[in-house]
This record gives sequence, structure tokens and C-alpha cells, in this order.
Amino acid sequence: MEEEETRVEEAEERKEIWSWGAGTDGQLATGSLQDELTPRFIRSLSAYGPIVSLSCGGAHVIALTPGGRVLTWGRGTSGQLGHGETVSTSQANIVKQLEGFVITHISAGWNHSGFVSGVFMCSYLQLVYGQDEDEETGAIFTCGDGSFGQLGHADSSSQLYPRQVSYFASKPVEQVACGMRHTLVLLAGVLKRSCDYRDLSGILCGAGNVEKPVYGFGSGKRGQLGISTDKVKLTSLPQITMGLENIKITCIHANGDHSSALSADGSLYTWGRGFCGALDTYIPCLSDVDFPISKVALGWNHALLLSRQGYVFMLGGDRHGVLSDPPKTPSTADVRVTRAGKSEEIITRIIPGLANVKVVQIAAGAEHSAFITGKEMLKFFHNGSIMTWGWGEHGQLGLGDTNDQTAPQVVGLDRKSACGDAIPRVYCGSGFSFVLMTKI
Amino acid sequence: MSYDDVEIEDMEWNQELQAFTYPCPCGDLFQITKEDLRLGEEIARCPSCSLYLTVIYNMEDFQEKSNKKAEPPKPQPVAVA
Repeated sequence: MEEEETRVEEAEERKEIWSWGAGTDGQLATGSLQDELTPRFIRSLSAYGPIVSLSCGGAHVIALTPGGRVLTWGRGTSGQLGHGETVSTSQANIVKQLEGFVITHISAGWNHSGFVSGVFMCSYLQLVYGQDEDEETGAIFTCGDGSFGQLGHADSSSQLYPRQVSYFASKPVEQVACGMRHTLVLLAGVLKRSCDYRDLSGILCGAGNVEKPVYGFGSGKRGQLGISTDKVKLTSLPQITMGLENIKITCIHANGDHSSALSADGSLYTWGRGFCGALDTYIPCLSDVDFPISKVALGWNHALLLSRQGYVFMLGGDRHGVLSDPPKTPSTADVRVTRAGKSEEIITRIIPGLANVKVVQIAAGAEHSAFITGKEMLKFFHNGSIMTWGWGEHGQLGLGDTNDQTAPQVVGLDRKSACGDAIPRVYCGSGFSFVLMTKI
Repeated sequence: MSYDDVEIEDMEWNQELQAFTYPCPCGDLFQITKEDLRLGEEIARCPSCSLYLTVIYNMEDFQEKSNKKAEPPKPQPVAVA
């Protein structure tokens, strides 16, 4: 008890969680339903210890604690908070239905949520000690709006509590990605008996003889499921995404009607709605970029790519993501046209103020973008600055006004009271943003 | 400028709002009523922000007395090609 109080005090002192932007559904967890134009420190979450990661959706947020517990808040009108009701709340609450599971991966879509329980440790136990596969590992749960089949329960009903997707009962899941009306699932490696049991690191990294298929379900009208070369209106039963066989996928993403996957060698595959007015692609398509990519963030009309060298590139963004013509803004360079499938896409390099500043993390809201700069900064910038640009009508850029920005701007956070040398991490929902200042 | 063009069949009927809706990037919903559609209005607005959508629909579908025809078909429970 005493320990918990100390933890709360410490957390409050460090000011670990900040939010800003649209707040009408309680998604900022500030306790009010106001939009916030500048970062606000969230006091209410501190009692749960350092938050490991966040996922921000249309107007709700899912947070993960170190012990694999799940907190949700924001819009709950479709059951996406998983508390068994259809009410919105600005108060973070533990999802009781998931207590007993160690959740390792979360994703918030427009009005639905996905949760994955831990798989690695149990696979290890299974391999080393020959234990039977535990049903509770690698399980995926979904809740919220199911109108388009995006919950994967073979119907179009909504779920007010997280419900296990039975289709994956015997297929351990590693990741889930929820978009506007669709969901992607990445399976954990199907371990082959030929792999070296002692090579635990190999198992954890998914190296060796491991197949990791991607599945899609929900609305497929823009090709976002990647399950057929023909137009698929929707499917409420998960189906395998085509064209990714024999490719070691490490990460999947979904937002709006876009889908993407990143492979171990840094190649990007995109499908779904085309960027920059390009045609929709119905099966995953290798992006024609000539640098390895380490991270991807999808908006509703743009994608951010972080190269392994620490440079940020933007795909699309012909709307509020950049507002004006990218070639005309001084913050961009290296504008070029790449091919994705049959159509052409514009890719733009985003310069974070100073040309040689490296970026360590990226995030995309529906029409705004954010990134965190790394340590190789000149003294003008703080170590680990938060920068934002794009659509700002609800204060989602955190710059103190409702202006749009065509170039990245530094978000002013009260860093003196913030967590010493911790590198911030930024997360964006449709019209709002969060920053975690916990040490990783 | 219109944020996007959306076909009426991609909008959802919201009983509570008595309007066809589509997600707005601000987190709220673009909305247009059957009466708007009957009058030939093609702009769906978001009550929370300045953005608006252009709705693509056939006005004749909303001219009849019964509006049943105009509602988008309910999503089917299983895979539909």
C-alpha cells in the first residue's frame, strides 16, 4: 500500500502522460470534455504505474500497464471500451474482462478495439518443458462496433466486452491492427519442429523457419483486407491476406481504409485506399522506396515512413496531412514519384527544422503527424523534442492554437518537471495526441 | 473544399441522430438527413469542425414516400464477394 502511494507520488512528480487535441468524448482523460490546445498533464493514470504503451483510436484510448493489464477511456458508445456498457468516460478504467490475461498488444480503431494476450513465454515453456499450449496465450479479443464484421466473430453484432475471436483459437496471434472499419491480425510464428529449441533468442525474434501469415476481416471495399483481387464488400470471418506468403512480416498497421505491413528487411507493403488519389490496391503491394524502413504510421490520407537512418518520409497527404503542395514548402525535399502497383504515389522527405536531425519515433492521426527527435540534436532543441504538423483545428498539434502547419513545429512541454532523461513517445488518435514520458 | 466524396451506401444510418453518418477525422461524424437528401443537398457536415463531405447518391431514391429503399443494405453475417 505504502509502495503504491510512493509510486503514485513519483509518477506525478515525473509527469509521465500528456494529452492534447479533440476532447469531446473524454479521450484526453483530463476529466473534462474540452479540446486542449496545449499538452495537459494527466494525473488520473498515475495510480496504475508507468504505462508501457498506448493505442489511440477514433475517440478512445487503450493503455497497457507493465503487468499486461489494460485501461481504456474515451468514446464508448459502441462498446469499444470493453466495460460492458455503451457510455463514454474521461476516466481511465481497468478492463476487468481481461484481468487474468497478460495482454501484450493493443490496437484502437475508429470504434472498435483489439487485444492480444502474451504468447512468447508460453511457447518457450512449451518448447523447453513440453507443456501443452495454453489457450490463454496468443489469443485475440475484440470489442466495439462490429457492423462491418471488423470484430471477426462471423457476424455483424457489436460487443460490449472483449470477446475472444474463436477463429484464432488454435492459431497464436502476435499483433492486431484496427482501422476505421477493418482489422488485421499477424500470427505469431508457427514454430517448426526443425528449429533449435535452445535458441530462445531466435524464437523470440521469429527467426528461422517461421511462417507469420496476416489475416484481414471487416470492410474490404477499398481493398484494405488484401484478401482478393476482386472487390470484397466485407467479411466477418478472418481470411488470409494475399501476396505476403514467404515474407517475414514484423509489423502490421491499419488506419482509415489503409493497411500496411513491414518486413524484417525493411520493405513496406501497402494495400487498401490509394494515397494521393492513386487507385485502391486490393492485394499487398511492395512500395518502391530504395531505403530500409524501420517504422510506419498510417493516417487517413497519408503514411509516415521512418527510415533506418532516422529520416522521415511522407506518402500521400494531399489533404490536411500537409495542406499545401509538398514541393512548395521549405520543410520538404527529395520529392519523388514512386510506383505502388499500377498507380503512382508521391513520397516526400520531411525535414525536422534542422537537416541532420534524426527522428526516432513517428505517429499519425487522421490528418496530423508527429515525431520524436533523437539525441543527435544541436542545443537549440531539447533532447527528444516532440514535433507536430498537419491539421490543427482541434488543437491536435499541441501548439497553443487551432492553426494548420505545413512543416514540423516543436511542441512545448514543461520538460523541467518531466521525466529526466526519458525519451518521449508520441501516439495520435484521429483528432488528438498523447505523449508518454516513461523510461523504456 | 470538400474533405472527401462518399457514396451513400458507404454511410451508416444512425437511428439516434436520424441521419446518415460517416466518420470525420476530428473524431465526430459527418451527418446528412433524409430530408436533406430529398431536397437534393449533397453536403454532409460535421457538427464539431469545419470539414464537410460530398455525398454521392441518386436523388430519385429519396423522392418516394417510403424511405426504406434508400437505406444501405445491412452487412451480411458471412463473407460476401
